[in-house]
Amino acid sequence: MGTFILRRLLWLPVLLFFVSVITFALGLYGPGDPVQVMLGLHANPETVARIRQEYGLDEPFYVQYVNYVKNVLQGNFGYSLVRYRDQPVGRLIAEHLPVTVQLNLCAIVVGILIGVPLGLIAGLYRDRWIDLAVRAVVIASISLPIILLNPVLSFIFFREHIVFVPLLDRLVSIGPLLPQVAGRWEGVLSPKAILPVLIEATGVIAILTRQMRAGMIEVLSEDYIRTARAKGLRERVVIVRHAMRNALIPIVTLVGLMLGGLVAGSFLVESWFDVPGVGRIAYEALFARDYYVIMALTLLIALAYVLANLLVDLMYGFLDPRIRTMG
Amino acid sequence: MSQNGQSNRLLVGIVVILLVALCGAVCVGGAAMLFLMQPSDGSVRPASATAVAVAPSGKNILRLPGAMGGGDPDTLDPARVSDARSSEYVVEIFSGLVTLSPDLKVVPDIAERWEVSQDRKTYTFYLRQNVKFHDGRPVTAQDFKYSIERAANPALASPTAEDYLGDIVGVKEKLARRAAEVSGVQVVDDYTLKITIDAPKSYFLAKLTYPTAFVVDKNNVERGGRTWTDKPNGTGPFKLKEYVRAQRIVLARNENFYLDPKPSVDEVYFIIGGGSFMTMYENGDLESVFVSLSDIERASDPSSPLNKELSISPQLNTHFIIFNTRKPPFDDVKVRQAFALAINRQQIMDVVYRKMPLLADTILPPGMPGYVEPSSSLEYNPARAKQLLAESKYADKLPDITWTTTGAGGSAAQDVQAVTAMLKENLGVTVSIQQTDFGTLINQTHAPSGNPYQMYDMGWIADYADPQDFLEILFHSNSAQNRSWSAYSNPAVDQLLDQAGAETDTTRRFALYHQAEQMILADYPVIPLMHSRDYWLTKPYVKGMIYPALIIPRLRYVSLER
Repeated sequence: MGTFILRRLLWLPVLLFFVSVITFALGLYGPGDPVQVMLGLHANPETVARIRQEYGLDEPFYVQYVNYVKNVLQGNFGYSLVRYRDQPVGRLIAEHLPVTVQLNLCAIVVGILIGVPLGLIAGLYRDRWIDLAVRAVVIASISLPIILLNPVLSFIFFREHIVFVPLLDRLVSIGPLLPQVAGRWEGVLSPKAILPVLIEATGVIAILTRQMRAGMIEVLSEDYIRTARAKGLRERVVIVRHAMRNALIPIVTLVGLMLGGLVAGSFLVESWFDVPGVGRIAYEALFARDYYVIMALTLLIALAYVLANLLVDLMYGFLDPRIRTMG
Repeated sequence: MSQNGQSNRLLVGIVVILLVALCGAVCVGGAAMLFLMQPSDGSVRPASATAVAVAPSGKNILRLPGAMGGGDPDTLDPARVSDARSSEYVVEIFSGLVTLSPDLKVVPDIAERWEVSQDRKTYTFYLRQNVKFHDGRPVTAQDFKYSIERAANPALASPTAEDYLGDIVGVKEKLARRAAEVSGVQVVDDYTLKITIDAPKSYFLAKLTYPTAFVVDKNNVERGGRTWTDKPNGTGPFKLKEYVRAQRIVLARNENFYLDPKPSVDEVYFIIGGGSFMTMYENGDLESVFVSLSDIERASDPSSPLNKELSISPQLNTHFIIFNTRKPPFDDVKVRQAFALAINRQQIMDVVYRKMPLLADTILPPGMPGYVEPSSSLEYNPARAKQLLAESKYADKLPDITWTTTGAGGSAAQDVQAVTAMLKENLGVTVSIQQTDFGTLINQTHAPSGNPYQMYDMGWIADYADPQDFLEILFHSNSAQNRSWSAYSNPAVDQLLDQAGAETDTTRRFALYHQAEQMILADYPVIPLMHSRDYWLTKPYVKGMIYPALIIPRLRYVSLER
């Protein structure tokens, strides 16, 4: 086990090297240039050349890359060139990453709490009306483009509604049901986080529900379940102790993989609900060709996925003895 | 194997995963906190301790959506500002020798008055003696000298130094490292500053209203390091009280502001994140909001209560379809004219844009000095368009035509689609649409080898209120911008533009520009499409809110009268 971890960790720098070279090269040789974006329509060639020289962007690729790596190894991720001009990239990420991580973590927890029971029920009542209903809702919720969902949710939750209540026989003002962030994000435990967390969770719910349902159906057809039933165990014991626990194994794997996505923000959710996460920074940086911001975020995401994969591999061997051969 | 053993493993597994996730979150959060608490450059802002549920709705706080629809300003450093969004904040926090009045005239700011020499190349500015930085230090001519030297320092990499200060003798030399000092800026005494420019230029003072020429505090800049604008010490009507990135910018009134009217509101709270601004406005959480295309019908319906709060602000810009006159088939003026006559622009305004912008029949936007209202709209004549195309040298062998436009996704903007449909219907020409993002478009149009696109669409926004900014910059054959625009070249037009630039009499100057504009339009290097207009809703208790066509310091005119 120890050598397995070591071997995987030794590959990490190699992987990061390739990711960084490719990202760096794409930034440098891909269309667009941070200085031109900064200057917009005023990007006359003389000014562009002067600023590129000042930033060292006129150096050959390998010089720029080596300088970059040297700085990164010393903990300096460079400065934003365009959208957050002069801000240290490390500080930008340190400010906004925790928000995204918290939001995603909450979404995963909510996703587990909703998705697993839904999948369990759907699997148990396979092809009955409740299964069909769960599947329909799940498919509908992941198919609904978020771009459509936002105005609807905003309308329902953020506005004041005047409704006629027949019992009172008068008009009553209701809402807004949830506060908007309005420039003051107060963390994931505030009511302002409810909508963004729920929307981020829809994907998790859909994946986990489907996996849990498929897992239950597969496990329930296994011989040992028949044996368990044959020896007269109560159905509840069969389901909870024998079937569900085994169906949960792939769920653990999936959740482990999702942890890799913790550091990747969602531009759409963050900007619609005014969440100061890293997704917005990434989006702005991409369109402004803000090299160093893009580089740091790419490396961070690659690192997170490698570590999440490692974790999943370890858990897999740990949870399912049939796979534990590489030790 | 025992069932129990495996379920224990599972339990342990779940716990381990959750623990790792938790540790990860804590580590990232902790590292961030440590990082944020580093006192090294003294520029770290503590999170506000008095966070409340919604934006504070105090009596004298003006709450607005972030400039240009929200988003962080690129920078708050006056010498490094190159975008409109940043300028909106910078002109409130900092100030310069001259500024623009609400009717866009150049008026005194820190300079109380000025004299122009006989040869119109030397400007002597007399500074007000009661101007102080926000920290109380008086502003002197040395501060202006320092600020201009700083902006022209090549190490600062100012994106705008050439454009806005390049007329001053010595600025270009310093930027090119051929001089250590800007010789054209001289301190006569504490309150007198002399600036010499390379040639008589009627638009020079207008350029000084742009932030590049604003005054900054040497101590602030040098002690603050690279992120000094986190705590800027300006001279403007408002101070930066708080800037929390991706969330809010809060400006506070400068009690010691030197001009009248002095700022009236205590604070201005900008939401720069996002969210539903329109909903916030309707809920009473914002004092003013811009109206987007999707809300325009509701807001302009006379029976809607919103309609009384609506104001329309014409902008100093023109959106064009641009033909590259160096690329077939647009090197033939008949093809360009045929395209222009085949497009029903009025219909696009009415149907696609719901009449929000103004139909453009000129290059200069209305409101721009030198603008002359056209006697008739540009021609729409499909029959003649067809005839012109048949007369062109590409009559029977029209090459493939691609229109490059900014955008991403399944379909191009509706106006582009409408125009291509009209060209198909009226001329039988199929124009394919290529979408690209703004960064790529600028990269290609400004390529040293020349603009590779056949046609594209783009708007030009006035940098300062002078016709030179549109006509010479976009259409003079020596202008760098023209190369990336339509690469239009007409010696007669060049001559008129040169004449206008040197003319001292304003009436004669504008007449020359108008003549040039007519000649350019007759050659069809561009088709003017529209001048945009901003639509705003403002609560009735907000007085003095203006939406000028150029970015000017405007918040000091606002007061709240509930």
